[in-house]
Amino acid sequence: MATELHVTFRVGTADYAVPAAQVLHLESYDSATPVPGAPSYVAGLVQVRGRLVPVVDLRARFGLAPVPHSIDHRVVVCQVGTRVAGLLVDSARDVIRIEDGAFEKPPDLVEQQAGGFIKGIATVTKKMFLLVDVPRIIGEELSHG
Amino acid sequence: MASNTANGNGKRNGSTPAATLARSLRTSAGQAERVEALAAKIAQSGTQQAAAADAARASVEDIVASVEETATASEELARTNTTVAGNTRDVLQGLESTVAGLQEITASVAAVRKDTDSLALAADSTATSLEQLGRSTKSTAANAEELSETSARLTSAATETSASVASAALRGQETATMIEEVATTVEQMAVTSARLAGDSRLVGDRMVTVASGLKELGGSLEEVAADAAETATSVEQSSATAEELARSFRGVAELAQNLTSAATESASALSEVAASVEEVAATAEKNASVVESNASSIEQVARSAQVVAQSAQEVSNLASQNAAATAQLESSSRRIAGVVETARVTSERVAVSARASGQTVGRTIAGFAKIREAMGQGATVMKDMGKRAEEIGDIVQAINLIADRTNLLSLNASIEAARAGEHGRGFAVIAEEVRALADRAAAAATDVAKIVRSLQSVARDAVSANTDGLRLADEGAQLSEDARTGLQVILEGVDQLASSVKSISAATEEQVRGVQSVTAATARLETESRSIARASAEQTLATSSLARSGGEMRTMAKQTRDATLEQAKALRDMVKSNDQLTANIDKVSRATEEQATSAAQLARAVVQMRGAAQRTTTAMVAQLRTLTAMSTNVQEVSGSTQRTVTAIGENAKGAAEIAKAMDAARKQAMQAARAVTEQARAAKEIEATASDVARLSAEVTSASNEQAEALGLLATDADSVRKVAKQSSRAVGEQSDALSSLSSLAARQSAALQTITRSTNEQAAATDQIAQAMRALRGQSREMTGVLVGQAKSAAATAADVATVAQEIAALRAANGEQAAMVSAMAGTDEDHAGTEDPRT
Repeated sequence: MATELHVTFRVGTADYAVPAAQVLHLESYDSATPVPGAPSYVAGLVQVRGRLVPVVDLRARFGLAPVPHSIDHRVVVCQVGTRVAGLLVDSARDVIRIEDGAFEKPPDLVEQQAGGFIKGIATVTKKMFLLVDVPRIIGEELSHG
Repeated sequence: MASNTANGNGKRNGSTPAATLARSLRTSAGQAERVEALAAKIAQSGTQQAAAADAARASVEDIVASVEETATASEELARTNTTVAGNTRDVLQGLESTVAGLQEITASVAAVRKDTDSLALAADSTATSLEQLGRSTKSTAANAEELSETSARLTSAATETSASVASAALRGQETATMIEEVATTVEQMAVTSARLAGDSRLVGDRMVTVASGLKELGGSLEEVAADAAETATSVEQSSATAEELARSFRGVAELAQNLTSAATESASALSEVAASVEEVAATAEKNASVVESNASSIEQVARSAQVVAQSAQEVSNLASQNAAATAQLESSSRRIAGVVETARVTSERVAVSARASGQTVGRTIAGFAKIREAMGQGATVMKDMGKRAEEIGDIVQAINLIADRTNLLSLNASIEAARAGEHGRGFAVIAEEVRALADRAAAAATDVAKIVRSLQSVARDAVSANTDGLRLADEGAQLSEDARTGLQVILEGVDQLASSVKSISAATEEQVRGVQSVTAATARLETESRSIARASAEQTLATSSLARSGGEMRTMAKQTRDATLEQAKALRDMVKSNDQLTANIDKVSRATEEQATSAAQLARAVVQMRGAAQRTTTAMVAQLRTLTAMSTNVQEVSGSTQRTVTAIGENAKGAAEIAKAMDAARKQAMQAARAVTEQARAAKEIEATASDVARLSAEVTSASNEQAEALGLLATDADSVRKVAKQSSRAVGEQSDALSSLSSLAARQSAALQTITRSTNEQAAATDQIAQAMRALRGQSREMTGVLVGQAKSAAATAADVATVAQEIAALRAANGEQAAMVSAMAGTDEDHAGTEDPRT
């Protein structure tokens, strides 16, 4: 069966996964330059490898309370099509391979509550990972921006 | 009428019917005339009879009036007979009371004689006792003076002892005072309890007294009730006697003369006796006053002797207490010597160990200084260590950062490798390993950081502990310094103690000397006070017997005086009653009416008396019943009071036990202090006792002097008592003789009066018969009067009838005359004489 590499990260107490194919690279995070008029969940702009990338604060996006800055914070820089955006997460320390069929459709209740950001749920070595719908997160951001 | 007869005669010769009629008319006229004359005669005799009947009635009425008078007189006689009976009874009562008084006097004279004899005897024994008392008093005075000297010596010795004890007493006084205060409080409590118990007992006693008083009242009421019953009985008897008396007072008149003479005789004899008794009464009065003064002075002597005996006993007791206190003093002195020795040894030991302690304390102070230095070094090391630990923390943080970055790089490498596909597979493996290494480095750094953090906290604790240790070391050094100062003070105190012990030793020796002299003085005092107490006891015995005989004498004198006064009173009464008797006897003959009235009054009074006596008896019985109930109540109250007293007594006992316990606590107080306090107290007691002894000795001396004076007075009084007793004896003998003659006179009088009583009773009976006969007579007279009145009435009626007849006859005659005239007129033609012969109608 075919496997695909996924970058895993943590926001709050849950573990999330994103396909490595959609990730350009990971960056450490110090601060972002705020963008006037941007939605509240947009932390601001950061400069990564010579280009400006908008950063979406997943805590704010998922409706969680903000936490103080830590050395473990990461920005997962993703590319969907030509659009590039960073996801600010609490930590991201691993990449794992997940079988293609491991993901299941999340229950209706979870899907509705999550606002359509979660595409599936996979369990790897007894650990549960929520598969994030990056285009949706970024796209909505972009449509607003 | 004569004419009528003539008319009848005129017709007699007529030949015609008219002539015949005229004749017959003349005849009837003559008859009528005769009838008229007869009727007039009859009327006259009837009137005479009525007058005679009236006269008879008047005379009978006179008789009735006289009979009434007689009856009244006889009734009055009966009344006066009763009065006489009353008077006679009065006389007899007077005589009986006289006889009873005489008997009483005789008995009391005999008692007086006996008392007088006893009085003489008592006076003799009193004189003897007085002599004994005088001797005993002299010896007491001598003893008292000796006692005074001894007590003076004792006082000086006691003062000496007290002074020597005072210096020692000051040291233990404070503790002793406190314990003393507590003990005093408890003792006060005990005393208060005891007093409460005493008061309650007094209350109980009073209740008992009330109960006994009630009982006595009940007894006296019973007596009164008995007396009332007796009175009722005697009233009955009096009533019987009065009735008896009423039967025989006929011979009053004859025997009155005898009685008068006898009464006069007895009056003179009584006067004589009364005079003699008055004399005796005066003598007895004198006697009583002398005996009274005698008895009071004897009692004074007895009191004073008792006081002396009491004082002597007190002195003896105090001497015994003194001896005990001295013995106690001696033992406590010995104990003090022991205690002082122990104190000396202990103080030396204390000095040695105090010095050793001083050296040890010096070493301790040096050790503390070293500890402080080491502590300071340790603190420096600890601070350095903390600094190094912080540096290590910084390094660990750097390692952590590096590991983080390495992880980030390896992740990016993995992503790149994945994007490179098959070509990046080897690179991906390397990136994986790098990431694993970075993670291990991060974990190790985390462990190091944890260790460094704990090391830092331990270092901080060590520093603070070191600071505390430093402070404690400083404090220890300070304390050691204080200990050194304290030891110095202890050493000084031990030195002072040694010198105090030496001074106490010296004082104790002085005490022992003083105590020895006190012991000797006390022994002398005890011996002398004992001999005084013995002598005083003998004196008291003698004065007691003297007082007893004095009391007996007083009682006898009082009895004699009372008896004599009673005699005099009885005799006065007798004289009075005798006078009355004489007067009564004089009155007997002319006051028969009064006698009767008195008898009636007596009977009524007796009945009233009897009723009153019965009512009194009933009331007394009711009173007695109420009193018995009251007595029961009072006894119940008394019982409950007794129980209360018992409870309070138990309280007092409990308080006393508490006091005892406090005493035991006091005994457990510090030995030395207590011994000293005891000594002080003993010294004080000895001093107080000595002053008491001196005071009592003075009292004994003064009492002895008083006794001597009283004895002089007593001797004089005893002589006068003897004289008075002899006089009394003589007077009583005279009285006895006079009374015997008086008794015989009274007996004679009584006999005479008995005869009078009998006669009076007979008189009364006769008077009653007379009254009865008079009453019968009066009845008969009244009957006779009634008969006579009837007679007079019938006679008057007869006279009236006869008068009526006469009138009718007169009318008849007139008619007859008219008829004759008419006939004559008719016959006139025939006869010439007709008109002439009819003169009137």
